[in-house]
Amino acid sequence: MIKLETAHIEEVRGIRKLDIDFKKGTFAISGPNGSGKSGVIDAIEFGLTGQIGRLTGRGTKGLSVAEHGPHVDKTKFPDAAFVELKVFLPAIGKTATITRKVSAPKKPKIVPADEDVIAALAEIADHPEVTLSRREILRFILVEPTKRSEEIQTLLKLDDIGQTRSALNAAQNKLQAAQATAAAQVQSGRNALQTHLQISTLLAADVLEAVNKRRKVLGLPEIAELTADTKLDAGLSANDKGSDFNKKSALGDLNALSEAAKKFPDLAKKQAAAIVADLVKLETDPALLTALQTRSLIEKGLDLVDGPECPLCDMAWEDEQHLRSHLQAKLAKSEEARKLQQSMLSNGGAIATEAIRVIGLLVPVQKLADTQGNGAFTTLVTLWKADLEALKAKLATVDGLTGLKDRLTAGWLAMPEAFLKGLKTLTEKIEAKPDQTATLDAQTFLTTAQLRLGDYREAMRKNKAAEIALNSVKAAYDAYCSVLEDELNALYDEVQEDFSKFYRAINEDDESKFTAKLTPTEGKLDFNVNFYERGLFPPGAYHSEGHQDGMGVCLYLALMKRLFGDQFTFALLDDVVMSVDVGHRYQFCQLLKKHFPNTQFIITTHDRLWAEQMKSAGLVTAKTSIAFHGWTIDTGPLVESNLEIWDEIAAALAKGKVEVAAAALRHHLEYVSRHLADQLGATPQFRADANYELGDLLPAVLARMKDLYGKAAGAAQSWGNETEKEAVGKRKTALSTSAGAWSPENWAVNKAVHYNEWANFGKKDFEPVVGAFKALLASFRCENCESWVHVTPRGNPESLRCGCNSINLNLKPKPK
Amino acid sequence: MATLQQKIAEKFLAKLADSKDVDGAKLDQLRSLLADGKKPKAEDLVRIFSLPAGGDLK
Repeated sequence: MIKLETAHIEEVRGIRKLDIDFKKGTFAISGPNGSGKSGVIDAIEFGLTGQIGRLTGRGTKGLSVAEHGPHVDKTKFPDAAFVELKVFLPAIGKTATITRKVSAPKKPKIVPADEDVIAALAEIADHPEVTLSRREILRFILVEPTKRSEEIQTLLKLDDIGQTRSALNAAQNKLQAAQATAAAQVQSGRNALQTHLQISTLLAADVLEAVNKRRKVLGLPEIAELTADTKLDAGLSANDKGSDFNKKSALGDLNALSEAAKKFPDLAKKQAAAIVADLVKLETDPALLTALQTRSLIEKGLDLVDGPECPLCDMAWEDEQHLRSHLQAKLAKSEEARKLQQSMLSNGGAIATEAIRVIGLLVPVQKLADTQGNGAFTTLVTLWKADLEALKAKLATVDGLTGLKDRLTAGWLAMPEAFLKGLKTLTEKIEAKPDQTATLDAQTFLTTAQLRLGDYREAMRKNKAAEIALNSVKAAYDAYCSVLEDELNALYDEVQEDFSKFYRAINEDDESKFTAKLTPTEGKLDFNVNFYERGLFPPGAYHSEGHQDGMGVCLYLALMKRLFGDQFTFALLDDVVMSVDVGHRYQFCQLLKKHFPNTQFIITTHDRLWAEQMKSAGLVTAKTSIAFHGWTIDTGPLVESNLEIWDEIAAALAKGKVEVAAAALRHHLEYVSRHLADQLGATPQFRADANYELGDLLPAVLARMKDLYGKAAGAAQSWGNETEKEAVGKRKTALSTSAGAWSPENWAVNKAVHYNEWANFGKKDFEPVVGAFKALLASFRCENCESWVHVTPRGNPESLRCGCNSINLNLKPKPK
Repeated sequence: MATLQQKIAEKFLAKLADSKDVDGAKLDQLRSLLADGKKPKAEDLVRIFSLPAGGDLK
């Protein structure tokens, strides 16, 4: 991952030209809505990944980086829109610059173009999730379980894992079907051999008895043992092997087929009826049919996915993972269709097995008809056999089955009308032949027996191979599922533990026993949270929206920690920190500092108070924050700098622009006094509309500060801490001195408080006002870290501190 | 840092190595298929698991 040093942004989104020095540290960007904060986030995200999250995903149809990435006045000149980021790569200890133009988002210029630098930047380009925006925050919390699973699996890149499992499952299904076919062919070969040998069981002793009887006729030695290498016709000369027509055997084959034909009308009738019932169900429930067809289509599509473009509709997705997750979630949703599919394929498989058996009976008869010159019957049997082979293929897929309703209703075997007559004619023809001599009978018997034994052995070998393949894929699938389940459970345990810990850290005052449970099941991820120890409920059940937002941020942080581990060094939080309710923001800052000390967060907020709280909590400093006070289409964000506020006022006064200086001072005083009132727990006269004015807040802040110094002095006295007592005394004196300038007697300042008449002042009148407030505000600020002082904890303060603890005054007296 | 996918693939292959149903030749081909985060297709897996026991020599 990276740490961002600087950004130079030109003509991207709402920004014309902007440079920010991030100093590789957590950085706050504040400003009112529409001041361009998110534009900075968009630009950084674009610089790192080539994408802008706000222009992709749901609800962004018609938006694109190419068309809407450049500033609105530069849409025809996308070359002018670019971002140059200077980044530090902690893993390799190098600094690099990446420049990316909107006109060529996939071809950034990287300097130095070292292999390790390019690889490190490519890795972060593959992780757009480093950006979390307000609109995305609840997607982990308040979504349906299947969608949450999709979102989180995409974030954690688990969809690749799901794909391997799906591929193993699909392979298992294919090999299972192949093994069923192989087993049916073994049965078919066995029947053919038994029919020829005229034995009821295929025991070696029975086989040898039948064979040795013919061998004896031919004067050949008996076969004592039937081994894998045994040849039943061993000893026959090549000439004697010339014909394999054996009248008795031929009649046996014809008779076997004739007997089997009596049962043809009932063959797999139950399974065929079940498929027809399922097909009728589909006809009466179009939604189910659509789900099934879609399912079949999606399964094919998933097999074909090889990049971010959907093979089914050509739509370009953000990346391949999102596309795969989308398709897999669709599959997970059609559970009823899945059961129907399973039932249809199972019944189809049973019919296919019977079809193989019938084909096995037809093969010797087809050959017989051919050798006997019965052309018409040979053609009939050949076509029927081919038809059954084609049927067998259709029975293996849902698409194939959906077109078979009429055939399955009428009789799936579709025996040709002339078949029985042809069979009878052929049988009569064979019967009419003179009996073969004992010698010829024995010769052809042995030849045919050996051929059929060979076929049977080959079928057995193939079946054995199919069994081995099936067993191995089953073992692999089970092993993969087992490992996957263990790892996912461990992952979700870890995520839920971190999530709970983070959430408790923010809400320690009222939910110190908070816990959460992530429960993964097939295609779903259930998420429940404890509500004040009353049990586990979905997050949206009882928690307030503010708390749910807090959960979103915490879950995001837990997931990122799991995803990147120690390499989680960078995240863009676009107005999501606002989601944490006001009472818990200080703790949120502490959470980021304590649990993510090596992570650089770029945080935007439209709440200036929150921006100041981040400083007070030591999360950022004046040097690592920036404020926008407005935006225009021509200038982009208008940067306001707190550090330079007094310089700006002085500059305005130097130009004689008192009204500009007055507005800046008034604006600054308003937010500082509001912020200090909040940070110190001042108690201005209550207003139900919370519309406090400067005159309400500033006196209350001063009174509160004096009160706190009094408490600090008292506490120091009670502990006998003379050093602290003296320090408090100095600060109190400094405050009194500066506050003296701000007094009812100072008419100029007083007017500022009650009447905004500064704008009418002359330069000479206003300069003392500026000086008085500058000195006054300085007494509320740490000289080292430049943060405003605050009390902690908020409700019942125990100390008065600054962000770096240079100021740390105890407020709790020694117990008596 | 090994991705979760790689971690699962390694544990999966280690577990399969102890299985009597999957021989070394199949295991080697599986390892190659899953290397570097490659995404296996069902057809590739069917081919591997259909290998004759002990290898693909005929």
